[in-house]
Amino acid sequence: MEDTQKPNEPEVVLDIRGLCKKYSKKADYAVRDVSFACHAGEIVGILGHNGAGKSTILKCLEGMLPFEEGTIAVCGFDVTKNPVAAKSNMGFVTDDHAVFVKMTGLQYVEFMADVYKVPANVRKERLDALEKVFSLGESIYNLISSYSHGMRQKICMMGSLIHRPRLWILDEPMTGLDPRTMRAVQEYMAEYAAAGNCILFSSHALATVAKICDRVVLIRKGEQISDVNVREIRKNDPHFDFEEYFLQHERQD
Amino acid sequence: MKDKIDFRLLGALLRKQRQEQFSRIGKGKFDFVGFGMRVVLILAFLVCFVVFFGRFLEIYLQVKTDYVLNPSERLFEILTAAYTLVLVLMTVGAVSQINHALFAADDMRILAALPVGAKTLYLSKLIVIYVGQIGFALLTVLPVNIAVAVHAPQGAWFYGMTALTCLVLPLVSIAIASVLALPYHAVRTALKNRFALHFIVVTLLTAALLFVYAAVLEAVKELLLGDDLKYFFNEAVMDKIAAAAAALYPANWMARFLLGQDAARNAIFIAVLLAGSAPVSLIAIRLLLMRALQSRISGASNFIGRRKTLRRPHSPFVALLKKEFLTIFRTPNYTFSYFSVAVVMPLMVYFCMSVGSSLAVKLIGIQCNAELAVFLTLLFGSLANMFCTTNISRDGKMFFSVKAMPVDARTVFLSKVILCMIVTAVSQLISAVLLLATGYLNVWAALFLFASGVLCGFAQVCVATKIDFRHPDFSAEADGEIRESGNTVSTVVVLGLLASFLIGGAVLLVRMMLSLRGLADQYAYLTYLITGVIALGAAAAGYFLLAHRLDKKYRAFDGGGAL
Repeated sequence: MEDTQKPNEPEVVLDIRGLCKKYSKKADYAVRDVSFACHAGEIVGILGHNGAGKSTILKCLEGMLPFEEGTIAVCGFDVTKNPVAAKSNMGFVTDDHAVFVKMTGLQYVEFMADVYKVPANVRKERLDALEKVFSLGESIYNLISSYSHGMRQKICMMGSLIHRPRLWILDEPMTGLDPRTMRAVQEYMAEYAAAGNCILFSSHALATVAKICDRVVLIRKGEQISDVNVREIRKNDPHFDFEEYFLQHERQD
Repeated sequence: MKDKIDFRLLGALLRKQRQEQFSRIGKGKFDFVGFGMRVVLILAFLVCFVVFFGRFLEIYLQVKTDYVLNPSERLFEILTAAYTLVLVLMTVGAVSQINHALFAADDMRILAALPVGAKTLYLSKLIVIYVGQIGFALLTVLPVNIAVAVHAPQGAWFYGMTALTCLVLPLVSIAIASVLALPYHAVRTALKNRFALHFIVVTLLTAALLFVYAAVLEAVKELLLGDDLKYFFNEAVMDKIAAAAAALYPANWMARFLLGQDAARNAIFIAVLLAGSAPVSLIAIRLLLMRALQSRISGASNFIGRRKTLRRPHSPFVALLKKEFLTIFRTPNYTFSYFSVAVVMPLMVYFCMSVGSSLAVKLIGIQCNAELAVFLTLLFGSLANMFCTTNISRDGKMFFSVKAMPVDARTVFLSKVILCMIVTAVSQLISAVLLLATGYLNVWAALFLFASGVLCGFAQVCVATKIDFRHPDFSAEADGEIRESGNTVSTVVVLGLLASFLIGGAVLLVRMMLSLRGLADQYAYLTYLITGVIALGAAAAGYFLLAHRLDKKYRAFDGGGAL
């Protein structure tokens, strides 16, 4: 991959260029020519209406779905040419909170730690830190099949963070979480990004996006319509109403 | 407010279930080859059944009691036995289906929250079960009655009432099943989350059923080896059969009714049985519905892991292997379909060996234990391995999550294949040790049998995994559990049967030809050579089929829109 990084610019963690995805040869593009980059320390939101293509972009990036055109690189590793290295730097939480329900919560986190080759000496410390944020308590020893929707969401997040990925991808992360955990997750996201990592997430919760994102990529009908630096705008205009901004873009359709 | 049946809602619920059943056809996801194999398999089974049952019927109708031929009484006995068996199978199926419909089906979660009355909801489920049971009745009753009609021509009454029987038998089975569903649910609840206990209980029950099957096999052997059938069906045996037929209600009423013997009286008995069982069934159903609703409110019973500290790290491969094991071991249906069946299958090999070995000597005068062992090991090994047809599908949407993890395709597939191979190796080892211990094989033959069984098992696992990868059938239910066997199973069963008949048949044929020329001992090695070469070839071909361009295909996998 060509190195486009300028001196003093934060490290590029994710670089998507010209991404195109079709679900079948005859179908229209579900995602067409999407390009953006995410840097270390950034929280980037992907916004769009239902069916806009947000989850498709994330699934292509995670390697779940193949794509026809374009390139995706994570920490400099191309996801199609060097998938294992690229995926090692990612942690993901899917929108359907898919987990192995026949494992206990603890077994699931251990499974993720094994797959991502987390050293034995840091596992306990990391698990305790995550437990403080997500507070599953004694439920972590129970079978996941008995978990509520919100608890599954929490265990998914714990599993996705055990290897401390450089890029943390979340698809609708706040769905099903109680207000206390939602607040804790938002604070954790800010803290995690500040530690030099990058977070990319899709959401419909405009207030959350406006509050915690540095940048927002707007997607409509599979196409990228803007890449807004919310932090910059907010700095210049403290009364900036992100919700109104988003709805204006939607009305242009 | 009184809970009445809403027929408009009932129609909507039935349409929903029909649409779910046929949703895969015409969307490019349907495995037509697998479906064709399934039809072929069922037809082949039915044809074999009609032919063998017809042959038996021909002999049985000639049996005399008190020196007198009485074909109508023999027909009554045989139909009673057949309908009893059909009724037992249908009742077992209905108990399981009722429990699944009420306690496990995912749509209940949604429907319970909608303004749908409990009676309407349950009736919609019962109608679907009833239609399925009619299908099963047609597949079982019709071949029996066709064989009867061929060997003992009957009048129009028999044919007309055969159709009625197919409609009435499911009513009886569902009535009985409604009553049995509650204790069955209690047993399942007691065993739920006690995975090891469940495995032991289910394995012992399966083994017990095999012992019953072995007794039937032994009787068949006696029948075939007996010099005179009259000797087998002597007065004492016939008295027992007559007494059993007289006691096997309600199948004996159905048989008499169908044969036009006291038709009116037996029709009344059946009607009274159905009318009498209706209130009992309704009470049982009410109790079941209450349980079902309670279990939805209180949630699933919990399982608490014993270990509360972190274990030592594993490699990604071992972690995936352990994940495969836990998924199977902690899903009762999977444990039965794979682990229990694999453990008890060697018993089948042994029982069939004990029957087949003496039959071969008696009927064709040839001692062919090694060849028979090869045939039986491959045959039952392939049946025990059917579960590997869900190697991909049983991951559900987690297959995509694993795809997003930093593990290459080979490691993912290897973990699946290796788990299947561990189960196969254990099953084949038990078979070989059993045949060695009972003197059917010597040490070297047993070792050879184990090795060739494992190689053929490997080939089957690779092929099954590949087919499932091409046509995955991810469950739409929340727990991702696959409750109905897909068409891939039929394809793999047909391939397994073909392979075992081809290899087993080839070595048996060679042995027979050599025996006829008196060269059997001199060329005994040919059995091992043929089996070994084919098993090695099959294993290599299976590996190639699965591993060829696996990485590329894994990357391109999108599950046909399943995500």
